Amino acid sequence: MSLIRLRGLALLALAIAAGLLVAPVTGAQPKPTGVKVGVLKLTSSAPIFVGVEKGFFKEFGVEPELVYFQAAAPIATALAAGQLDVGATGLTAALYNIVLGGEKLWIVADKGREWPGYPLVAIVVQKEAWDGGLRSIKDLKGKRIGVTQLGSTFHYHIGNILEKEGLHLSDVKIVPLQAMPATVEALKGKQVDAILVPQPFPGAAEAQGFGKILAWAGDLYPWQIATVFYSDKLAVDRARAVAFMKGYVKASRYYFDAALVQKDGHAAHGANYDEVVEITAKYTGARPEIIKLGFPFQDRNGRLLVPDIERQMSWWAANGFMKKTLPLTAVVDTSFVEEAVRGLDR
Amino acid sequence: MRVVVERVGKTYHDRRGRDVVALHQVDFAVETREFVALLGPSGCGKSTLLGIIAGLLPPSSGRVYFEGEPRPGRAPVTATVFQEFALFPWRTVRANVEFGLEELGVSGSERVERTRRYLDMTGLAGFEGKYPHQLSGGMRQRVGIARALAVEPAVLLLDEPFSALDAQTRTLMMDELLGIWERTRQTILYVTHNIQEAVFMADRVIVLSRRPGEVLDAVPIKLPRPRREGQQGDPVFVQTADRIWGLIKSQAQAALLDDQTVTERDG
Amino acid sequence: MAVERLVVADRTAFLRRPDYRAVRVLALLGLVVLWELLTRTGWVSPLFLPAPSGVLAEGLDMARSGQLLVHLARSLERLAWGFGVGAVAGVGVGVAVGFFALADAVVQPVIAATFPIPKIALLPLLILWLGIGEASKVAVVALGVFFPMAINTYAGVRQADPLLIRAAVSFGAGSWSVIRKVVLPSALPMVFAGLKLAAGTALLLLVAAEQIAADAGIGFLILQSGNLMETTRLMVGIVVLSLLGVASYWAIGALERSVIRWRHT
Repeated sequence: MSLIRLRGLALLALAIAAGLLVAPVTGAQPKPTGVKVGVLKLTSSAPIFVGVEKGFFKEFGVEPELVYFQAAAPIATALAAGQLDVGATGLTAALYNIVLGGEKLWIVADKGREWPGYPLVAIVVQKEAWDGGLRSIKDLKGKRIGVTQLGSTFHYHIGNILEKEGLHLSDVKIVPLQAMPATVEALKGKQVDAILVPQPFPGAAEAQGFGKILAWAGDLYPWQIATVFYSDKLAVDRARAVAFMKGYVKASRYYFDAALVQKDGHAAHGANYDEVVEITAKYTGARPEIIKLGFPFQDRNGRLLVPDIERQMSWWAANGFMKKTLPLTAVVDTSFVEEAVRGLDR
Repeated sequence: MRVVVERVGKTYHDRRGRDVVALHQVDFAVETREFVALLGPSGCGKSTLLGIIAGLLPPSSGRVYFEGEPRPGRAPVTATVFQEFALFPWRTVRANVEFGLEELGVSGSERVERTRRYLDMTGLAGFEGKYPHQLSGGMRQRVGIARALAVEPAVLLLDEPFSALDAQTRTLMMDELLGIWERTRQTILYVTHNIQEAVFMADRVIVLSRRPGEVLDAVPIKLPRPRREGQQGDPVFVQTADRIWGLIKSQAQAALLDDQTVTERDG
Repeated sequence: MAVERLVVADRTAFLRRPDYRAVRVLALLGLVVLWELLTRTGWVSPLFLPAPSGVLAEGLDMARSGQLLVHLARSLERLAWGFGVGAVAGVGVGVAVGFFALADAVVQPVIAATFPIPKIALLPLLILWLGIGEASKVAVVALGVFFPMAINTYAGVRQADPLLIRAAVSFGAGSWSVIRKVVLPSALPMVFAGLKLAAGTALLLLVAAEQIAADAGIGFLILQSGNLMETTRLMVGIVVLSLLGVASYWAIGALERSVIRWRHT
């Protein structure tokens, strides 16, 4: 059984045990200023890494503790189970289902958008399949496409990309592999014809010669893929919640100015570009050349593309991954970002 | 068919590498249609001898051969009836009786007819569909006998067939066996440790010593046939039985004290 | 002179084991009721512990829409194939190793070396060799069934009564006849015991295999519901799995009773 599955089950079991014993999670609580943040080791987590490395969170009196995962949905589960305060990762069907199931959590800030011109997730095709003629989205018909989990951002993304080309999810075979490294391995081992993975994996796949990037998914279909989200417990602790957000917005601006500025359609890197690359390389373990292939886009102040969240829920529900949609007010709270921005700009 | 046992010896090597002589120069013959009892104290090797005659064990020395008219195609020379019945628990009475016929390749109406005949002869009519576990000890041995008779062997070998039964059943079964034999008249070699039984059933009793088993004597039984229950009181019966007892009493006493830890392996 | 009278007392009363049939049923029911109450009163979040009523409702829903049947049918198909292949191979090897000394010498060490490997650990290897389709799933189930069947059949063959084998030989049976007519029937009780053992393992392995690259099946249902945090459907999957386990155990028992109509004397 894969590690992520084991972890997920262990967390579920723990949650059940905790629930049955009534007592809220005691003893395992972080320090009063501590904040547990669940992230993935991806380029897209760069703002978080920057914030931690440069002490932006500490500046506002918050001690972040990074907890690494292998896929996005388990972060939402861990948050709901009280093991994390903050999740900074992709929006999955699981997250919405958790709220539908009665556990509150709040989407509070932008942490990555699929955006044209800003590489985040790529559709990587197996080298041999590519050589054999798999060159376009339409060619994916009838093929096996590897993703981390069902209901993941990749699932959502490929579903929408296919629909844009007049195809449907049912025209391909989605293969869930539970963790990102496993997804990459499956491509290497030719168990699947194509995968969707975020930076730095696509770059690494091309560099190592077993994959070819068919397209950057953001060029084909833009959306609000990743966010920062809070547990209800943190959200209620207003002071700490806003303090964390201040640190995050500061980090977001630093990251944007260093890596995301474009002039006339070309990258115009800021003074701190190399530093940001270095920090990202340090935390993800990927090589700087791979990271330099591109940084994902997010709003400079971390503001959300709120209508897109409604669209996501409708799509999940239409395809049977959610029983029904939620009202936005039940899952989105932009007040933290707004308060943080006001506080920083004073 | 007569059975000739010619200077047969059997030696085992026990677990500790010692040689155990089970049989030593056993030499006798059983004439055609003769009913011979093989008697001796426990551990005298009489079952081993029967096994050798049945072809289930090789002798270490000497040989056993059969002499008589050539037999038609599919008739075997010997068939055995076992002390513990050795019925196949997963087969019905009928299927057990048919076993030997299957192995001989007898099929169709002949198999059905023969099976029915021997089931009737052994008093098993009505029990064809029963399983062994549903039968009493006496009935089970009837099946064993029917199974052996069904292949119509030249020589019938019985290894203490009634030892596992209670005394009353044993008496009834002995009577029955004699009754059947009157009709089928095979050569019979009947192993037992019971003197009364041997004298009652046999034409001749071959007495074996305890290990190493040797022929002590061959005692003819001068009692008229058909044998009747009351004959146990006959003076000839009593004398013969006494004589045999005299031969083996000391043997039996020594056998009582025998070391039982010898486990046999082919020698 | 006074005469004493001592009535015989029952000394074994404390050793008797009443059936407590009513208690068995009530205990299970009580547990379900307690579970329902825990979630109704909000003591436990319905996300983490779906209520029995919710699970039942979802289950009926899935049954009505035909979804449940699809998943069940796929799982049963894989189980049947895996069981078939594993059991036939296991019995065959068990008989061969039990009966022929040469086969024993060659095969036993191999079995001893490979048996302790948890078959789940072999799953990634099987997928590498056989791909992510049906073959690897059937293969892992077959492997999980093979070992208990081979080992139990071997034990059954070895404990065949030597007297019965002697009796068969005395009536002219050769090796093939002895195997078919004495050794195999003799081994049947152990073979069925092996089937029951294998059933549990088979289900476990099936679910594990269905969690890797399947698109239908009870294991897949559990995986998908877990990925999507649809915990009520997850519980439906688990309940169906449990019922599947009970049903297979019962089915094997029923088969055993119809095949083995004798008692070993």
